[in-house]
Amino acid sequence: MENQTKEVKWLCDKCQEALVLEKVKVRYLEGNFEVELLKCPTCKMVFISDDLAMGKMLEVEKGLEDK
Amino acid sequence: MDLDAMLEISNQCIHSEPPVCVASCPVHMDILGLVSAIEQKDFAKAYKVMESKVPFARLVGKICDHPCEKSCVRQSIGGSIRINELEKLVVALGYVPPKKAFPLPKNKGKVAIIGGGLSGCVAALELDKKGYAVTIFEKSTRLGGSLWGYEGKGLEKEILEEELSIILQKGIKVQYQTEVLSTDLEEYFKTYDAIYLGSAKWNQELNVDSQTFQVEKSPLFVGGKLQVKNSSIIHSLSSGKRAAVSIDRFISKTSMLASREREGVFQTKLDFKIDKVATLQSVEKSATVYSEDEACLEASRCLKCQCNECFNACVHMQRFNVTPDSYIRSINHNERIILGTHHANKMINACTQCGLCKEVCPVDIGMKEIIHATRESMVLKGKMPPSAHDFALKDMQFSHSDYFSLVRKQPSKEASKELFYYPVIAFSAYARGLYKGSGKTGYLFYPGCQLSATHTDYIGEIYKHLVGVIKNKDADNDVGLYLGCCGAPADWAGRLDLMPQSVAKIQQTWQEMGEPTFILACSSCTATFEKYLPMIKTISLWEVFDTYGLPEVDIKKGKRELCIHDACATRHNEKLHENIRSIAKTLGYTIQELEFSKEKAKCCGYGGLVAYANPEQACDFVKDRRQESENDVLVYCAMCKDMLVKGEKRAYHILDLIYGNEQNPNTLQKMPTLSERQNNRKRLKQTLLKEIWKEEETMDTDTQYDFTLHLPEQIVALMEKRFILASDVQKVIDNALKTKERFYNPKTSDYLARLRIQNVTYWVKYEEEGLNITVKDVYSHRMEVVEN
Ligand code: SF4
Ligand code: SF4
Ligand code: SF4
Ligand SMILES: [Zn+2]
Repeated sequence: MENQTKEVKWLCDKCQEALVLEKVKVRYLEGNFEVELLKCPTCKMVFISDDLAMGKMLEVEKGLEDK
Repeated sequence: MDLDAMLEISNQCIHSEPPVCVASCPVHMDILGLVSAIEQKDFAKAYKVMESKVPFARLVGKICDHPCEKSCVRQSIGGSIRINELEKLVVALGYVPPKKAFPLPKNKGKVAIIGGGLSGCVAALELDKKGYAVTIFEKSTRLGGSLWGYEGKGLEKEILEEELSIILQKGIKVQYQTEVLSTDLEEYFKTYDAIYLGSAKWNQELNVDSQTFQVEKSPLFVGGKLQVKNSSIIHSLSSGKRAAVSIDRFISKTSMLASREREGVFQTKLDFKIDKVATLQSVEKSATVYSEDEACLEASRCLKCQCNECFNACVHMQRFNVTPDSYIRSINHNERIILGTHHANKMINACTQCGLCKEVCPVDIGMKEIIHATRESMVLKGKMPPSAHDFALKDMQFSHSDYFSLVRKQPSKEASKELFYYPVIAFSAYARGLYKGSGKTGYLFYPGCQLSATHTDYIGEIYKHLVGVIKNKDADNDVGLYLGCCGAPADWAGRLDLMPQSVAKIQQTWQEMGEPTFILACSSCTATFEKYLPMIKTISLWEVFDTYGLPEVDIKKGKRELCIHDACATRHNEKLHENIRSIAKTLGYTIQELEFSKEKAKCCGYGGLVAYANPEQACDFVKDRRQESENDVLVYCAMCKDMLVKGEKRAYHILDLIYGNEQNPNTLQKMPTLSERQNNRKRLKQTLLKEIWKEEETMDTDTQYDFTLHLPEQIVALMEKRFILASDVQKVIDNALKTKERFYNPKTSDYLARLRIQNVTYWVKYEEEGLNITVKDVYSHRMEVVEN
């Protein structure tokens, strides 16, 4: 999944922390992956942009659904 | 699903049946390929098409006696396509000298050819190609036999010689001036594995098999004039080709007859209909041969006869470029693969299960049942893409829930006492109906979930009208009301597991209510009841209107013309079709019948949940319908109206006409959003309970939030497109406000929050001003992100 560094302007509102790129586990149906995503270093909340969700992520979801 | 039985159906499809011209060509020249190449003015390609079936195409193309033309379906509508004239030009413009081929070893056996005429030369070439050592015995001093009769009459000497020289170039041996007689055969059999007899005359009666051209199990095979018994060039050529096949099978000891039923001239199963084809005269040639343009024009007259009835009627097949033969083969593959991608899933979920294909198919093939069974099988195997029908099924659960579900008997006489006074009782048929209350529910009005969601305000009116007109004629039977969903979405989605839930509940209610007749107002409900609840007697609301009378509305003659879009789910319900037309006429409208109406109704694109699983495909259906008529459309299914209006075609539900709500043609038509539809159902239940049954809903149906949500127009559109409900957006924001689990953008002061609700994570970007929340973006994903 594409790197979302252009979105760094977002902060975690609860922790008031800048987001960092880190490996995150994602899963859908039979698929389990590790991808680098932006997340809050403290509470671990992961940031997903519209482009990512409706683009690459959707594509992978569809791909897994047809497996 | 029985895949073999399904494949058997695909074999019945005559899509690939050849046109009659090809079937009556003894060598089955691909005439469709030929004419399309000519239309593209690609004469080299056209020549290749000829060459692939016709040895010596350069000669035969000029002198063929063209039996194909005699059977061409264009014959009676402007004249047969002049295939022979086309071929002449193809030979003139498209001939390419053959490339020198590297000779293969000739080790499969030895064959003698008696007679070096056309059929003998053809048999020799074919056998040479198959790897036999061939010798031609010719009594004269040159090859070609009767072909020389065309010298100067269509064929030039040089070309004849050049073409026949191919035999020698191939290394086929020729013994000239060698006459072979019947008495010599025994001797030849000693040297050769088989003999082909192509002489025009023979001094002996022979008993030749009409299919294999073999003489009584002997190694002797006969072709040419002797066999075909006429002077047809192409039949003679064909006999040489076919005898070569027999000789090959004979020598290699394989079955003489297997899969040869369609050799030579045969009967095609294709019966191409010309009733809608306009006459178009053949193109005359202005010189001795067609010019390129003339040929092109003549080729374009060809109807490219092929069965495409279903394909032409169905935008689904068009989008995926399939006809049922190939469609079923793809399904078969999709169903059998264990590992790998199920490429046909998308296609299978884009069929509206409308049933039109079966209506137009000359051999009764329909995809509806096949698609239905396939979806069921996918669900059972856990291979149905969850995203395809998820939203629709959740919406169905909503309808099943207490938010919408409601069953009530007609308000009792006792409870309605305050209506039974003048003037109410005098002017209200409804009040009189209640006054006659018998306590026995003879009818149950079942408007269905979609009509209730989109035409909410009519439901109470209709109910009261039904009580009035029915009780007036049939005092014994009260009219109850039942709000719910018939389960059609589960049926479309192949969810056998969910079907009993809907069906059993309806059946139980029906029994508890004393087995009343259901009054149905939705075409999908009608189809579902027919299929799953045959024990329940039903009548359509339109029939009740048509027979018991319409609500009192302003009936003026001379209203405008509307075209009718029949609902595909009720294509076989003739009575219903008549009721609708009769109501429209009573109301003063004129009806335009579309080509695809009644049993040939086209789907609006909602069927089979295609509007959810494949919105682009659904859009094709609407566009297809939209362009059929300039007139505004009359429909009697809430979803048809929804689809058409969303596709920017002005459409009216029959209820709009009945209740006088046909709008000014200049105002924009709008349908409720997905969220509004759920809210409408909730509201309907509450309103009816309050107004008709005087019950206050005790259940807390609306979650109250202390913020106010603002959804700009483009966000509403985005939510529709992405199947996101306002209630989900509210949940995300509520969670964000309570937990502060959200991102903040210091530059824009926007917040971005997420919440996983069941199997979907929803994201909302918003601006917060006190308690006012303005949404700026919404999206979702099904993938689960592990946050730790
Ligand atoms: S119209 Fe064309 S395809 Fe049909 S029979 Fe004639 S030549 Fe063949
Ligand atoms: S959409 Fe209708 S006409 Fe097309 S394949 Fe499906 S059932 Fe047949
Ligand atoms: S209508 Fe369609 S399914 Fe029927 S034979 Fe023709 S191509 Fe095949
Ligand atoms: Zn944090």
